[in-house]
Amino acid sequence: MNHNACWIQIDAKEQTRFLLKCFKLKIPIYETKTTNEFLYLKINEEDYAKVKKFWFVKVKKCGVTGFKKLKEVLYFHRVFLFCGLVGIILLFFLSHIMVSVQVIHSSKNIRDVVKNSLKEKGIRKNSWRKSYQEIEQIKDSILEEYPDLLEWLEIEIKGMNYIVRVEERKKETIEKEKTSCHIVAKKDGLVKEMIFDKGEARVKVNDSVKKGDILISGIITKDNEEKGIVCASGEVFGEVWYTISVSVPMKYQIKERTGKKRWNLRFRNLYYDNLLLKSRIESFEEERKSIVNIFGNELFFVTQYEVKNIEKSYSEEEALEKALNEGISKLQSTFGEKDKILAKKVLKKEVNNSTMNVEIFVAVEENIGQEQEFVKE
Amino acid sequence: MHLYKTIKSFLFDQEYFIDMYQKYIHVYSFVDIVTLEEEKIILQMPTFLLTMEGKEFRILKLTKNEILIEGILESLMVKNES
Repeated sequence: MNHNACWIQIDAKEQTRFLLKCFKLKIPIYETKTTNEFLYLKINEEDYAKVKKFWFVKVKKCGVTGFKKLKEVLYFHRVFLFCGLVGIILLFFLSHIMVSVQVIHSSKNIRDVVKNSLKEKGIRKNSWRKSYQEIEQIKDSILEEYPDLLEWLEIEIKGMNYIVRVEERKKETIEKEKTSCHIVAKKDGLVKEMIFDKGEARVKVNDSVKKGDILISGIITKDNEEKGIVCASGEVFGEVWYTISVSVPMKYQIKERTGKKRWNLRFRNLYYDNLLLKSRIESFEEERKSIVNIFGNELFFVTQYEVKNIEKSYSEEEALEKALNEGISKLQSTFGEKDKILAKKVLKKEVNNSTMNVEIFVAVEENIGQEQEFVKE
Repeated sequence: MHLYKTIKSFLFDQEYFIDMYQKYIHVYSFVDIVTLEEEKIILQMPTFLLTMEGKEFRILKLTKNEILIEGILESLMVKNES
């Protein structure tokens, strides 16, 4: 009955006449409110047209009720309601999107294995969040997949990130104990120092040895009689000689900023990394400043500095020094902990077609001994 | 509609009735309004004339056969037309 009701306002002085007229016309009045000046009445919406025709009183509509009122309120607050709805949807969306997967373990191999396995099972960057049951299933399946590698695995959800903690399965490696072995030379050289706790020395300091020579024997003898067999252990440091050939170009290029700069925008994600505006500088170096980063889609403000390539030449001394440094650092990359360079010397240098070819002699003190098993006949 | 009518006839099984509360008077099934003033209201009932006298009478609800009046009732008079 009141679904399509409305409130009207009339002059309070005319209320008696108005009410009698309403009664005569069978217009129901559901509620009244009075103030000093006005009388407010709640009537049916369709009766409004009838009361508006009353000549003796001025009728003013001042509000609706029921469904119309609800519609009016919703329309009035439409911006707030829309923002609220969008906010709720966004909140729901953001709380169900995972932006990163972080596997915590010291070994890169294990991290890679777990990451790939998780990726196959749908736990990846910028993906929909898995439910607790799904995560439990994935955990179990990964552990079943790598029973020898993984002891334990935990997938934790922290905000918008998966934190995966892994425990490696420790293998009980029973190393077969060697019972009979020599320490033999792995390179030609001159013995400089010997440290050993088992075995019998077959060489002395300053002895020259060839590759394969026994340095410390596993056969213990006394008065030329064999007394026992052990696995010799120890370190034999010897002087070893190397000849290294290095080629160094006499000319090189450097980039120098001209002072001219331009601004640009760069967009980057997994598949795309390009400037958004046309670059007006041909050769440049750029400095990036991140503006916004949403799910791996990153926008940068870029400052481009124009650069020009300048060609320069080394002097012979500079080229030689560079060649020496390159040669030595290349050799040092193969060094053990206790290895050291004893001497270095340039054997030959020649400049051909803007390239300097250098031959360097290097004397190195390094561990030349290695274990070798033997079988007693 | 049949159910509604049945319930209504069960609840309102009288031809008319007049309810009086401390500040309200409810009259059901009146026929006409004879007088409507702030201090006096006369209603035509099916078989008699109902006169209410008092102060600050105000109509709260009004339909074709029902009226709810707010005010201080001082006297109530029933005048049988027969």
